[in-house]
Amino acid sequence: MSTKVLPGQRLGTTAEFRAGSGTYVRDGFVHAAVVGHRTLVRPGESADPAGAAPGAGAAAAAGADAAVPPTLAVVRDRHATAVPEIGSIIIGKVARVNPRLASLNIMVVGTTPCTETFQGVIRVQDVRATEKDKVQIYRSFRPGDVVRARVISLGDAKSYFLSTAENELGVVFAQSMAGYTMVPISWEEMVCPKTKVIEFRKCAKPPQQ
Amino acid sequence: MLFSKAYVRKTKRGSVIKVLKEHYLRDDIYCGVPGCQRCPEHTTTLSAEPRQTTAVRSPHYIVPDTNILYHQIDVMEHAAFVDVIVLQTVLEELRHRSLPVYNRVRALTAEPARRFFVFCNEHHRETFVQREPEETPNDRNDRGKPFNRRRPIRRAVEWYSAHIDSKRAVVLITDDRANRAKAKDAGITALSLRQYVESLSGFPELVDMVAAVGGDDDDDMDASAADKKFVYPEHLSPTQISAGLKSGAFHQGVLNISAHNFLEGSSMIRVNNEEVIVQIIGRENLNRGVQGDVVALQILPKSEWRSGVSTVLEEEVVEKDDLEEPTTDAATVDKTLDKALQEPATEQELKPTARIVGIIKRNWRPFCGTIDASSVHAGSTSTQMQSVFFWALDKRIPKIRIRTRQAQSLLGKRIVVAIDAWTKNSRYPAGHYVRTLGEVGDRATETEVLLLEHDVPFAPFSPLVLSFLPEEGEAWVVRDDLHLANREDFRSWDVCSIDPPGCTDIDDALHARLLPNGNYSVGVHIADVSHFVKTDNAMDLEARRRGTTVYLVDKRIDMLPGLLGTNLCSLRSNVDRLAFSCLWEITPDAEVVSTRFTKSVIRSKASLTYDEAQARLDDPKMTDSVSMSIKALNMLAKKLRARRMAAGALTLASPEVRFRMENDSQDPVDVELKELKDTNALVEEFMLLANIYVARKIYECFPECSMLRRHPKPPATNFEDLGKALEPFGVKIDASTSRTLSDSLDAAVDPNDPYFNKLVRIMTTRCMMQAVYFCSGTLAEPDFWHYGLATDIYTHFTSPIRRYADLVVHRLLAASIGYDKTYSSELTDKAKVKEMSDVLNYRNRMAQQASRSSVELYTNLFFKGKTVVEEAYVIRILKNGCSLLIPKYGVESFVYAAPVPNQPPLLALHPTMNALTGAGPDGEVVIKLFDKVRVQVTVEEAGVAAAQRSKLVLRLVEPNVPGMCPVVETSTARPLGGAATTPARTTRPAKKPKRK
Amino acid sequence: MSRELLAPEGLRVDGRRPPELRRLLTRVGLFAVADGSAYVELGNTKCLAAVYGPKEPRTQSAQLHDRAVINVEYNVASFSSGERKSRTRRDKRLLEIASVIKRTFEPVVMTATFPRSEIDIYIQILQLDGGALHAAINASCLAMIDAGIPMSDYVVACSAGFASGTALLDLNYIEESAETPALTVAMLPKSGKLTMLNMESRLHLDHFKDVLDLATEGCKSLAESLDEAVRKACKTPRPI
Repeated sequence: MSTKVLPGQRLGTTAEFRAGSGTYVRDGFVHAAVVGHRTLVRPGESADPAGAAPGAGAAAAAGADAAVPPTLAVVRDRHATAVPEIGSIIIGKVARVNPRLASLNIMVVGTTPCTETFQGVIRVQDVRATEKDKVQIYRSFRPGDVVRARVISLGDAKSYFLSTAENELGVVFAQSMAGYTMVPISWEEMVCPKTKVIEFRKCAKPPQQ
Repeated sequence: MLFSKAYVRKTKRGSVIKVLKEHYLRDDIYCGVPGCQRCPEHTTTLSAEPRQTTAVRSPHYIVPDTNILYHQIDVMEHAAFVDVIVLQTVLEELRHRSLPVYNRVRALTAEPARRFFVFCNEHHRETFVQREPEETPNDRNDRGKPFNRRRPIRRAVEWYSAHIDSKRAVVLITDDRANRAKAKDAGITALSLRQYVESLSGFPELVDMVAAVGGDDDDDMDASAADKKFVYPEHLSPTQISAGLKSGAFHQGVLNISAHNFLEGSSMIRVNNEEVIVQIIGRENLNRGVQGDVVALQILPKSEWRSGVSTVLEEEVVEKDDLEEPTTDAATVDKTLDKALQEPATEQELKPTARIVGIIKRNWRPFCGTIDASSVHAGSTSTQMQSVFFWALDKRIPKIRIRTRQAQSLLGKRIVVAIDAWTKNSRYPAGHYVRTLGEVGDRATETEVLLLEHDVPFAPFSPLVLSFLPEEGEAWVVRDDLHLANREDFRSWDVCSIDPPGCTDIDDALHARLLPNGNYSVGVHIADVSHFVKTDNAMDLEARRRGTTVYLVDKRIDMLPGLLGTNLCSLRSNVDRLAFSCLWEITPDAEVVSTRFTKSVIRSKASLTYDEAQARLDDPKMTDSVSMSIKALNMLAKKLRARRMAAGALTLASPEVRFRMENDSQDPVDVELKELKDTNALVEEFMLLANIYVARKIYECFPECSMLRRHPKPPATNFEDLGKALEPFGVKIDASTSRTLSDSLDAAVDPNDPYFNKLVRIMTTRCMMQAVYFCSGTLAEPDFWHYGLATDIYTHFTSPIRRYADLVVHRLLAASIGYDKTYSSELTDKAKVKEMSDVLNYRNRMAQQASRSSVELYTNLFFKGKTVVEEAYVIRILKNGCSLLIPKYGVESFVYAAPVPNQPPLLALHPTMNALTGAGPDGEVVIKLFDKVRVQVTVEEAGVAAAQRSKLVLRLVEPNVPGMCPVVETSTARPLGGAATTPARTTRPAKKPKRK
Repeated sequence: MSRELLAPEGLRVDGRRPPELRRLLTRVGLFAVADGSAYVELGNTKCLAAVYGPKEPRTQSAQLHDRAVINVEYNVASFSSGERKSRTRRDKRLLEIASVIKRTFEPVVMTATFPRSEIDIYIQILQLDGGALHAAINASCLAMIDAGIPMSDYVVACSAGFASGTALLDLNYIEESAETPALTVAMLPKSGKLTMLNMESRLHLDHFKDVLDLATEGCKSLAESLDEAVRKACKTPRPI
């Protein structure tokens, strides 16, 4: 359905579309900035190609609300590299923790694996949305945990600031002291299937099937 | 469309160099044959119906190989050769071998009427021949098998034969027998040039023009077999020479044959980083070296060194014709010659002597001259082929053997001959006839000869050159809307020009104006030639090639087309003209306060002659603005001149003459010396000032690439002979600075002889170095010194109509004042400026010599049929005679000690004094330098037999040495003006250069 | 000028006509390690370009808070030219060319998308036969596209010179070394804008337009070839 476009190629007018990722606007036209597939994203939809691909047909775009034009994006075939941006969902591995923050190595941005790791931190106040004052880092993350988080700011010189203050965010994978992959049993507990030891984590809500 | 065959090759030149070259093969290269079925329509110069000959029955095109074009270019240039296909392979090889020949072929291909077509076989897909792996690209220097360039030539001819229709053919012309054989195997028609030329009807002279290269030619060279006994030493091979040069055993130099003695040469070589002049004496040592060749020299052991020979030797005197009996006669001649050369010499007089071991580069050119009548078989009226000798006018060139069928008809004609080869068993070089110029002694012929001999380009301007003239032609005017941008308008100023009478190319005009502050505004306005001649267009290139306008007695060879030179650029009176102005504010004491340069528009108020200007100057009643400005200029000029003289500027002299011509016949009827007037000096003074200030300005802006002019200080040795000669007169010449020289010249006065001072100045001029153009980046600043003018920097700016250097300086100045913001890079390219200045120096030298020869020619015409006895001064003493100068005619000639050739001399060199002695009726007669003598002047006609030009013969009358002047007929000497009974006019076709 | 760069028959030393380019060969995405890479062969000039980034800057001080920094390293292999010549990294000439290329890309790459990151372009000339600069720019452009770095357009470069009264396209080494005035132009083919114009010799203004026109023509035809190359590269996804 989608067509291959090349940098500089004109894709449409700004009246028809909003410029999404991989595009730019010049003289009232949306142009491609990278090589990739021309992709339409209806308002409210994720720009994620995996989600967009099935429903993002031309017919679907035409049926969209006329007041909010669809976003036009150029999605690359292969995601060689990704750079965390504000609002993007990342997956990272906890490197170390201290009472104030947990630092992560960012490995995947959106659905794109990073070729190199970026540093990110989850400060104690960003771990969850409620009862922020009661958060203890040790009871939320441990080194080695794989965490899904959202970039909330580009942070300081070293690290991106990340947040897990949403239901879907938090630890997605963790191993018990005994070395077994634990299973979440509540939004803040995980259990080791072998030793049945319960450990505390800020767990991410598994996606609905 | 593009086929690429990139290949990498390796060449060895000291180090291994990777050569990356791409070679695209195309299939859009067409055969050039009109009406070809296989190629699409394309433009071509070939004709559809080429010629047929007896050798090739079908209409055919000719494909010459490289050697044909290289050796036989004269033949190929003949109008008989049309419909020629020149292969790219041939052209490229030719360019490597000889650029001049290549350019001549290029000229042919550019001329549509000649129907020479260039076929790019190297880039054609089907005719490209891949080098075989063991073949190396360079023919020389490599050990590998050289790339055989004949293969691609044959391939191309083969392709042509298959390509064009059966009615027409393609013929390969080659003198290489092996090549012809291989061509025959491949089914190609191949002929030697001689075979082909002989099959042409209607061009008998062509056969004469075929060069005798020998070797490959299958015709037997019967004539050259005649004198096999005379054998020169073998020349060394290029590798041996280069090894010898590297090891220091040999030295490289340019052979310079003495103008007086064709068996004596000299060469400037570098030994241990010092420049040494070595002499090369005798036929054996010269070993087939010809004037101008670059040769490898080996210095002989000290025991074989000779003293400097001061003998005037003319070939016709010492040599008999050795065509018939080459061994016996020539040997004896050589012996007498050697005896003459081997005069005992004292140790100190010995000069380094060398012999030629090899020729690095020949500098053969076509020579003008005549056939030696004695070498022509008398009585043979048939057009049989025979060998005859040819004498070049240039005395430094040995006689040349040519083969011709038209010997009889060539007698008494000036012809052009080119040397083809000089094999070691041939006493004389072999050459071939190129063309006939005309009758000996005919004025037009002789003028053409002297232009050719001095390499002066004199062909009319080509239509391409003329196409760059302004479209309006004569009607061109200065238009305010077009030409006033960035120009100042001086049209209201009182500008005038002062020139010789009859001058049509006025390149300078002057003005002076009193300013309110008491200073003068003085301006020199020079014709703005660079406005009309834009860089690098055909007109510019032609002007660059010519370098300068050449002034002959009866005509002028212009550097620029006449429309520009005598009209649009000429600053005539009462018309608007574009100018380049140099403006000064000068105090009444002639101090320059400020200088400014600008492009301008002027309107000259008057074009004056020197006399008219002088009249205005002398007449106190003339108070109009122009006269007043001339008076102001004169006042300033005198002060400037005084200052310049005080700084040590030289006043030199040369015996310049001009001719009065008879109206219609153009025969000179009177000779007069040139006179200098006050106004000459006036103009000259301001031109010098402009040149100096312009030089400073351009040097300031372009220190690396300005074209300047310098006059090197003459080495003290130049003055040795003159100093010695002047000693008896109590005159000392001190040439350490121009100041001291100027002073010593002023002191050199003989109260009894007013001409003495002038004579000394003339002699001093001959000791001077040549002033030359140079690129400022190539020399250190102290070397910029102009010795003659005593100024630290100098250039030429004031005569752009007749000198290319001035045009370059105009462009530089325009760039440095910001007028021309888009000047091309060539202008500031140091290497290009240097190259250009070398060319201009050469052209100027040649132009000067051509003018001098022209004067000589007219002097001879003047004396034709006259016998005059005149006063003369001795200016040079040699072993076998002395040079005399006749002030009245500005003529210089030689008096032989032996008036009749091969008779015992009547005068002898004094052993201690630089003088000649002889036995007079009243005791011994001594002729010293600067002595005043009386001579009889006649012209020896250049009869049919004589090869040289008719020449002036002087015979000593007083002091009387019996036998020196066989018939003293003083009675026949007529007073000079006497001949001019017919109404005569002064012909002055041209303006002579003002400064050296 | 001893060499004849353009024979009167209208052929240049290598057999091309004045407005003809040399043969172009391109390969996109040769290196798995680099984010983007490309190889351009223009006649005998061979050039390799690799792009890394956008990535974290190597040094903190080099980053800019509002956009990405482009670094260019330009190198000429010592074996690339006729005579072996080794150059240091500090070679001023190489640094200058690198800076020219950097400035060529800066206005085109949408650097604002990647604040505080850097994009490294490494260029290596493997063989030199004239036109190194424009080969380098073309190779870099392909590598940038391969790396997926957003650019407002292609950057296509081409050179043109002037000899024997005619403008010549895409000079080779022989033509360049004959002191021909040479102009290198980098152009955005879609908008027709020029992002770089480089000439290091003098050329008369009268001829400048011809030369510039020819160079932009060359850019346009090169742009088509590059376009083709990118399209082809898209069809064959590279292995990771």
